[in-house]
Amino acid sequence: MTVVPETSPLRRVGRLRSLADFYMTAMRTQMQAQFQYRAATYMYLLGMVAEPVIYLVVWTTIADQSGGAVGGLTAGEFAAYYIVWTLVRTMNIVFTPYGWEERIREGELTGQLLRPLHPIHYDVAGFAGGKIPWLLYYIPIAAVLTLVFDPTFDVRPTEVAVFTVAIWGAYLIRTFNQSALGLVTFWTTRVGALFSLYIVLELLLSGRLVPLTIMPEWAQTLAWLLPFRWTFYFPIEALVGDLSNQELLAGLAMQLFWIFVGIGIFSLVWRYAIRRYTAVGN
Amino acid sequence: MTTLRVALLHLRIGVMNDLQYRVNFALQILQSMLALATGLVVFGLVYSHTTELNGWTQSELLAVLGVQIVMAGVIHAVIQPNMMRLTQDVQDGKLDHALTKPVDAQMLVSVREVQLWQAIDIVTGAAVIGVAFVRLGGDFGLFDTLAFAVALVLGAVLLYCFWLVLATGSFWVVQMWFLPELFEGIFQTGRWPVGIYPDWLRFGITFLVPIAFAITVPAEAVTSRLEWQTLAFAALFTVVAFVFSRWFWRFGLRRYSGASA
Amino acid sequence: MSEPAVRVEGLLKVFDVPERDEGLKAATKSLVRRKTREVRAVDGISFEIAPGEIVGFLGPNGAGKTTTLKMLSGLLYVSGGEARVLGHVPSKRERDFLRRISLVMGNRNQLQWDLPALDSFELNRSIYQIPRPDFLSLRDELIELLEVGDLVRKPVRQLSLGERMKVEIVGSLLHHPQVLFLDEPTIGLDVTMQKRIRKFVAEYRQRHGATVMLTSHYMADVEALCERVIVIHHGKILFDGDLAALAGTVAAWKTIAVALENGAGDLSSYGEVIHRDGDLVTLRVAKAETARVTARLLAEQEVLDLNVEDPPIEDVIELVFAREAVE
Repeated sequence: MTVVPETSPLRRVGRLRSLADFYMTAMRTQMQAQFQYRAATYMYLLGMVAEPVIYLVVWTTIADQSGGAVGGLTAGEFAAYYIVWTLVRTMNIVFTPYGWEERIREGELTGQLLRPLHPIHYDVAGFAGGKIPWLLYYIPIAAVLTLVFDPTFDVRPTEVAVFTVAIWGAYLIRTFNQSALGLVTFWTTRVGALFSLYIVLELLLSGRLVPLTIMPEWAQTLAWLLPFRWTFYFPIEALVGDLSNQELLAGLAMQLFWIFVGIGIFSLVWRYAIRRYTAVGN
Repeated sequence: MTTLRVALLHLRIGVMNDLQYRVNFALQILQSMLALATGLVVFGLVYSHTTELNGWTQSELLAVLGVQIVMAGVIHAVIQPNMMRLTQDVQDGKLDHALTKPVDAQMLVSVREVQLWQAIDIVTGAAVIGVAFVRLGGDFGLFDTLAFAVALVLGAVLLYCFWLVLATGSFWVVQMWFLPELFEGIFQTGRWPVGIYPDWLRFGITFLVPIAFAITVPAEAVTSRLEWQTLAFAALFTVVAFVFSRWFWRFGLRRYSGASA
Repeated sequence: MSEPAVRVEGLLKVFDVPERDEGLKAATKSLVRRKTREVRAVDGISFEIAPGEIVGFLGPNGAGKTTTLKMLSGLLYVSGGEARVLGHVPSKRERDFLRRISLVMGNRNQLQWDLPALDSFELNRSIYQIPRPDFLSLRDELIELLEVGDLVRKPVRQLSLGERMKVEIVGSLLHHPQVLFLDEPTIGLDVTMQKRIRKFVAEYRQRHGATVMLTSHYMADVEALCERVIVIHHGKILFDGDLAALAGTVAAWKTIAVALENGAGDLSSYGEVIHRDGDLVTLRVAKAETARVTARLLAEQEVLDLNVEDPPIEDVIELVFAREAVE
């Protein structure tokens, strides 16, 4: 008995609208999923907070030993810097190259490639959705840090507004940079080294290790040429520093620039990566 | 002695396995150098603003850094892979494979994984300690060398016991994926003099997470600050920790074996 | 005649596989120099599938079945030859192409691991841009057909293998694909579940009409669903035709493995003795005779244990070889 197959007419949907629909759906589902992992996420966030707390204690000690300030920053200002650091860090944790390595190794990428949507959208939307529960978990940690380390704060509404946008800018820059790195997995099974190189550069030139003003002159100049300062230093400075409105807007523009660069590099590497993947598959 | 033979066999297979991934070794050397460079940069920054931190000069703190790197190497090469695999096995219900072998379960789950290339850090750390030692113009008698070696071994055992206790926790708490990051974060405190931390944190990294014993004590041996009382106390603490962690492991194991019908 | 749904011509897939001898010395050597070996997973195959056909791709493990499906769904680049599905070149992975096909792999998950299946379905809805009313009615229909109503609210990781397979199938059909690739869909499942899924695929095709390409190493899968079967071995097609023709030769019998109290006697009256190991005897019996022979064995012999089985796929292959040789 022959069955006459139905032809399924594909609905002509606007690209933008379908993408928006997906983002809303994915963010919502990931938000719900993240709420399942309360305790584990807390532990993870605590581990993350250890890094800046150590730097904070070291620099505060030096400040106290040196009569109150180091490199023009008082202990209170260091505290403010590193506490805002933790918030920026919560926001800029993204899908790492190791995650890509596992995704490829476990064959998860295969399932994603069968779908008519670029896998990067899962990551951008998914992690963005996850940030909302993370921010909620973060609040008590921030409260404790503020109580213990007594930061000096002086914020304007414009600074807060710019900060809210800048943390997402930082998120996107790091997403595309690290995803581009993750794709290198198609050529070498261990992307660890390349990622380590990236992290070292980021540590030194993004304001992740110390406020950039403490770094030597030549390092500060170098930092202007690279995307890293826009993932840590700029968002932090926007809130705790003393930037003028022009400087704040210029900073956002620079973030936009680096987002586009990141997307460009990622798209390029993706094309070659897919060619390689479809040669051997998993 | 069967346990030792089994352990060595696992090590040999692990090494053979690791040698396949030739990329790992080259990359690990690079990673080790990068991490060291970062550490030295931080030191440089710190000591450009001061001559001594909490009573430790740059050369002295270099010894601390060296010990921390050596310990990190030991942890990443042997301790962490085994303990994380243990938590994974518990989560996946695969631990039974290890339990049905005619070898002590604790020994088996502690030696079967090795990431040999991480041991490069041990070499790196040793080099840093060497440099620090030379710069301090130190004068090492047989007794000092012995004290240093003992302190290192005690430190490694302590860290192992700590990780074992954490990993045993997976019998109760299913989610343990955050352990490496959490430990890494706290472990970084070991790079700096314990005295700079607020009291509560100092207590935590001495008695709860054995960082002070594992890192500062050997470092004190190199910088000739070590007093025999500290070393004796460290030895005592290690014995207590070992006994406790073994007891805790067997306690958790009984519960696990009872639970999975 | 209308455009074939799937057209394959001289399809070739070659892999470079690294080789390593055992031992510590060889392992250290491989640190410096790597040896590779060329493997022809798919070695120049050609066939056409008309819209609405359901074709079984049969062969032992490593025959090239999964590799072929992966090439047809765009996951693998073609080493040589040509493949076209619904007029598209699969490896281009065009959006319109991906929206029309579906690949379900047994033992593999495409649904989100830690979300309830319903959430994954919702995600699929947005990915494939399925109109909501169509999505809801098809989803509910599939859930009912596969009886997974109480499973779809649980996180997928909490489901058993068979349950996971069922919700995977629901997820993969929500966008109403025109071509459905099923790669070993019943592998690792118990007999009841296998039957359930076979029944479902047949029913789905009945209701919705779709071209189905099914790979398996279980003869039973193919028997239950396919009118046409392609036998593949070592990357080459050995047989492409009616299942009936193949069934006539191979699926025409069963094997009876019986453990007797005393296996020394003459059992040729029951069937062809293809194996004897002391008291364990394996008989080959015509399918139609199986029940009768079994009854006779149980009545006339001291039987300790008895198992009736399908001939293994390797026998099918052997026979196809033999047939081709004769013809």
